[in-house]
Amino acid sequence: MGVPFEALLPYGIMIGMFAFSAVAVGSLREMQNGGKKGRRGLDAWDRVMMERDRRLTGFARGQTDKPFAPPGFEVNNPWRVEERFF
Amino acid sequence: MSARQPRFNQQALIDTTPLPDDIPKVKEIGASSAPLLSASFFIGARCKAFNDDYMMCKTEANGRGELECMKEGRKVTRCAASVIKDINENCLSEFRVHWQCLENHNQQLWNCRSEERRLNKCVFNKLKLEKTIPDTPKGEEQVHLRTRNIFASH
Repeated sequence: MGVPFEALLPYGIMIGMFAFSAVAVGSLREMQNGGKKGRRGLDAWDRVMMERDRRLTGFARGQTDKPFAPPGFEVNNPWRVEERFF
Repeated sequence: MSARQPRFNQQALIDTTPLPDDIPKVKEIGASSAPLLSASFFIGARCKAFNDDYMMCKTEANGRGELECMKEGRKVTRCAASVIKDINENCLSEFRVHWQCLENHNQQLWNCRSEERRLNKCVFNKLKLEKTIPDTPKGEEQVHLRTRNIFASH
């Protein structure tokens, strides 16, 4: 006495939905990282280096191996502005 | 839409005034994080004297090192840029393979040992710079020379 196939349809739907959301979230993360694997376990050093990468290349995950920075790099470091309080 | 980025908002102010003439001129390093990490031990091998000199100057300046040690700091920058330039001229393909591997593996050196071995070999043959890890315990093999990696996923 086998299980009728109608009993398995909900499982197929559930697995399909889980697979769809996993692929969607994964590819969204890859898109946000410029086609590379995402970074994890970042500390303060990694964050400031990614900010420097953003200043150099225009994108936090962009990389360049040129020995000298493009002109204007030395002055595009922003001053942090103190928030106004009353 | 306008392509102009804001120069001043509630979080940051970007001041594009050129630096005054009393600050010594230097070309900043253009390599980003992964290439710098890949080249770091070679920078250390060639520039150890300049780096130590800068750190000693800062220690002896009693907290005013950022202003008084600019000359030493410029030497550090120029030396590091020269290493990156030499690696780019001599071992560009190995260098790129290594830092792209680092970039795909969360910038963890232990996940890219085979690429690193090829880069180390090329740099040693052409530039005579050898990667040595400072303060390795005596009689212990340096971690990048071990043939067996237990945790590496690549």
